[in-house]
Amino acid sequence: MSMEDYDFLFKIVLIGNAGVGKTCLVRRFTQGLFPPGQGATIGVDFMIKTVEINGEKVKLQIWDTAGQERFRSITQSYYRSANALILTYDITCEESFRCLPEWLREIEQYASNKLTVLGNKIDLADKREVSQQRAAEFSEAQDMYYLETSAKESDNARQNTLENNVSSPLPGEGKSISYLTCCNFN
Amino acid sequence: MALTTWALGPALRLCAAGPVCSWEMLHVAGAGVCGCCGALRPRYKRLVDNIFPEDPEDGLVKTNMEKLTFYALSAPEKLDRIGAYLSERLIRDVSRHRYGYVCIAMEALDQLLMACHCQSINLFVESFLKMVAKLLESEKPNLQILGTNSFVKFANIEEDTPSYHRSYDFFVSRFSEMCHSSHDDLDIRTKIRMSGIKGLQGVVRKTVNDELQANIWDPQHMDKIVPSLLFNLQHVEESESRSPSPLQATEKEKESPTELAERCLRELLGRAAYGNIKNAIKPVLIHLDNHSLWEPKIFATCCFRIIMYSIQPQHSHLVIQQLLGHLDANSKSAATVRAGIVEVLSEAAVIAASGSVGPTVLEVFNTLLRQLRLSIDYALTGSYDCGAGVSTKIIKEHEERMFQEAVIKTIGSFASTLPTYQQSEVMVFIMNKVPLPSTQQSIEAGKAGENRNRLTQIMLLKSLLQVSVGFQCSNMLTALPSVFLDRLLSAALMEDAEIRLFVLEILISFIDRHGNRQKFSTISTISDISVLKLKVDKCSRQDTVFMKKHGQQLYRHIYLICKEESNVQAHYEALYSMLMLISIELANEEVMVDLIRLVLAVQEIAQINEDNLTAYNRCALFALGAAYLNLISQLTTVPTFCQHIHEVIEMRQKEAPYLLPEDVFVERPRLSKSLDRLGPEVFFWQSKISEVLGGSGYNSDRLSTPYVPQLTDEDRLSKRKSIGETISLQVEVESRNSPEREQRAPAEEITYETLKKAIDSVAVEEQERERRRQVVEKFQKAPFEEIAAHCGARATLLQSKLNQIFEITIRPPPSPSGTITAAYGQPQNHSIPVYEMKFPDLCVY
Ligand SMILES: Nc1nc2c(ncn2[C@@H]2O[C@H](COP(=O)(O)OP(=O)(O)O)[C@@H](O)[C@H]2O)c(=O)[nH]1
Ligand SMILES: [Mg+2]
Repeated sequence: MSMEDYDFLFKIVLIGNAGVGKTCLVRRFTQGLFPPGQGATIGVDFMIKTVEINGEKVKLQIWDTAGQERFRSITQSYYRSANALILTYDITCEESFRCLPEWLREIEQYASNKLTVLGNKIDLADKREVSQQRAAEFSEAQDMYYLETSAKESDNARQNTLENNVSSPLPGEGKSISYLTCCNFN
Repeated sequence: MALTTWALGPALRLCAAGPVCSWEMLHVAGAGVCGCCGALRPRYKRLVDNIFPEDPEDGLVKTNMEKLTFYALSAPEKLDRIGAYLSERLIRDVSRHRYGYVCIAMEALDQLLMACHCQSINLFVESFLKMVAKLLESEKPNLQILGTNSFVKFANIEEDTPSYHRSYDFFVSRFSEMCHSSHDDLDIRTKIRMSGIKGLQGVVRKTVNDELQANIWDPQHMDKIVPSLLFNLQHVEESESRSPSPLQATEKEKESPTELAERCLRELLGRAAYGNIKNAIKPVLIHLDNHSLWEPKIFATCCFRIIMYSIQPQHSHLVIQQLLGHLDANSKSAATVRAGIVEVLSEAAVIAASGSVGPTVLEVFNTLLRQLRLSIDYALTGSYDCGAGVSTKIIKEHEERMFQEAVIKTIGSFASTLPTYQQSEVMVFIMNKVPLPSTQQSIEAGKAGENRNRLTQIMLLKSLLQVSVGFQCSNMLTALPSVFLDRLLSAALMEDAEIRLFVLEILISFIDRHGNRQKFSTISTISDISVLKLKVDKCSRQDTVFMKKHGQQLYRHIYLICKEESNVQAHYEALYSMLMLISIELANEEVMVDLIRLVLAVQEIAQINEDNLTAYNRCALFALGAAYLNLISQLTTVPTFCQHIHEVIEMRQKEAPYLLPEDVFVERPRLSKSLDRLGPEVFFWQSKISEVLGGSGYNSDRLSTPYVPQLTDEDRLSKRKSIGETISLQVEVESRNSPEREQRAPAEEITYETLKKAIDSVAVEEQERERRRQVVEKFQKAPFEEIAAHCGARATLLQSKLNQIFEITIRPPPSPSGTITAAYGQPQNHSIPVYEMKFPDLCVY
């Protein structure tokens, strides 16, 4: 009899400018809905989701952080223990993409694993400001995974990106620690 | 083993039925009823299952819970299994949304935990924490709160066996997150936030004293806990605005996140050992930075008040040092931010017990003075990087000014926490930083340099004044070392009226040890001194020695300051206070006599007016003399003296009210142009005073000798100093001349060589005295223009030569300025040597 309700535990931290859609992404992923106008995240937000990957139960602890500068110190303290860091930007907002290097500097000292760059809001294709190619090049140059999605219309992402993100965990120590090393590009 | 546990079940049942039972009974009874339970599942599972009612609404089945408890107590080795099974059930119930059962499981866990605080609890804690974690993972506020409450109960249990591998990371993360809850429903949000705070408090309690456990003081935890508490502390207005009635307010307050966060923060800080302070305070500083809370500084001040009152007092200097470090780190932040930090420092310094500054007293002041200088530079250059390049930030001069004021206030706060000997050390330290013309401190040339020097002088003197206000010295002699006094007084002779006033104020602070100064704040000729209710002690021996040593120096400076044309009412008031305070604090009979002579000499300044003073200056000096003599005569209680003074004052009231303070020191002074045609009856007469006081046993010989500022015997011991003051005086006289008057005496001629020649020609003592008299006379008779003409040159070359000389000199004028001026006006002329200067060899290199 196992006391655990999971085989692996991952801590995922989402970062990126305010308004790029981090909270919506997490909601879509954990609750399957696109939340109507919720306020900006204060400090951090926490969600849990257990997914089954290759027959193994993977519990995901998702820490959704506030993008605002004033919460930077508290959000920073969550990067440290993260198994995966997801840098989010809004494909319709050039500025949010241009801030990525700044975010990289911010997490430099904590990030030990390969990062993931996530472009959100692809449902707004006509307002796109950041081309896929550009984002892909940037990510590659920094040795990061890269994918795009929409929290609003998650139709093309059969499984949510967050889940893809952890599709192939390495066995870690014991049951609770593992690494996120691979990412499925659909 | 297994048998015993199996057997215990029925025994417990029996026991629950009967009113009394003992363990022997149980064991005996248990042995008898062994085989009667035919359940397939292990007993502990059945016992656990039995505590859950059919309908979760009914709540925990109490009797069965008791059975489970007894079972657990008697078979502690089963605790881990019970825990595991309960947790399994709970996890299942959570996922099936059977929250009633979840609550029951938690209640059971709590009860088991409370009942079993023995070593075996260790076995149980793991599953317990897993269940709490499970509840905390939930999105449901109720489950989060339920989990937190259980955790808090657990946190209050003292475990006697350490657990090496327990990790509270998740709890800290989640509780901190809960502290930031943004739940739509305000009530629920408040509850979640409070739960978060309580949870953090629990983690702290649980781990703080356990060195084997995850170190709660590590930045990874502190960086979450501290900002989360501050975030709640910060939102005080929010909860206040929700409580309309006062009764409700108090109730609410007890339950507010703000209050709770404060308590938790206090507890945390109170437990911080020396090595942990830094990690606990750093996140506070960063939080205040990030949330722009240094300005307005109310919250920052509030935080540090909490901090200073909560930490163990012996650690307070660490906080101070961190704040100072933070100030330095913010050197290039907006002035408002720096001002906020400094104000917080000031508050913190006051709260901290004396000695809060810790081992590095001067370092503290050094930092503050450095910040002061930086700010002066910022304000002058308008840029954060002095001189170099463009600055992106706009520097607001008035904000820098406010910052400077804040620094000065803080210097005062710090100093006030120090013991006297350190205060005096600090004052010497500050004084040594004041750029004076007579020292080697780099006096920068040019307009900008002048400006900077002046501002630096003013700011440092202000700081000094701030320190001196809180300075209580019973012994002036040890508290005010000569070097300090010399430097301070030399600052008084600078042209700058503001600086002069500061020096006077500082001196007044020192001298006034009985809080009398306010009583002299307005100059008047009151007829009854007793209304002032002066507090006076007998002048101590040390004070007498002090005046013996420094009296002449003080008189000379008072005299010279009186001659300044740029004096305004504030100066005269300060001079008056100073004279009065010396009289009541430091005066024996001899000092009294000298003061009267001094004041009469001041009257003469106004009367003869060789300095070409304005009518206002002259009236003010007359009025000052009247006010002083009026009070001093009453202090001596010599009736004839009082009478003479009174007569003159009455005469002035009739004939020349513009010579009395009541007419001069008002918004629109009534002055007279005809000051040179005054009758003898409106003056105080030295002959008369020495006669009446001599009759009462005062030294009439001395009294009848006019006061002439001069070198005292003590001054004579270090005559090399006089060159410094000579020159600074010369510079002074020069700088007061308007350019048109400048002529003759090319700067090149006044070289060090000429000075040296003059020095070499110093005559013997006898001649010296005679000549001095002559020159004094000459000077007194010569019109101002003539004297001024002698000292026209003010080329920078001279300045730099003089500066060179300043470096070897220590301090200011021993002699009547006129004398020296005259002598220096004709430097080549050896027939008028520099009499009173005998330069020791070391001076002539
Ligand atoms: N069209 C579109 N809007 C989105 C999407 N994701 C988020 N938004 C909107 O973007 C805004 C910010 O979202 P939020 O999740 O709060 O951003 P966060 O600050 O990064 O957490 C909200 O108005 C969302 O409705 C998306 O995929 N498509
Ligand atoms: Mg958000």
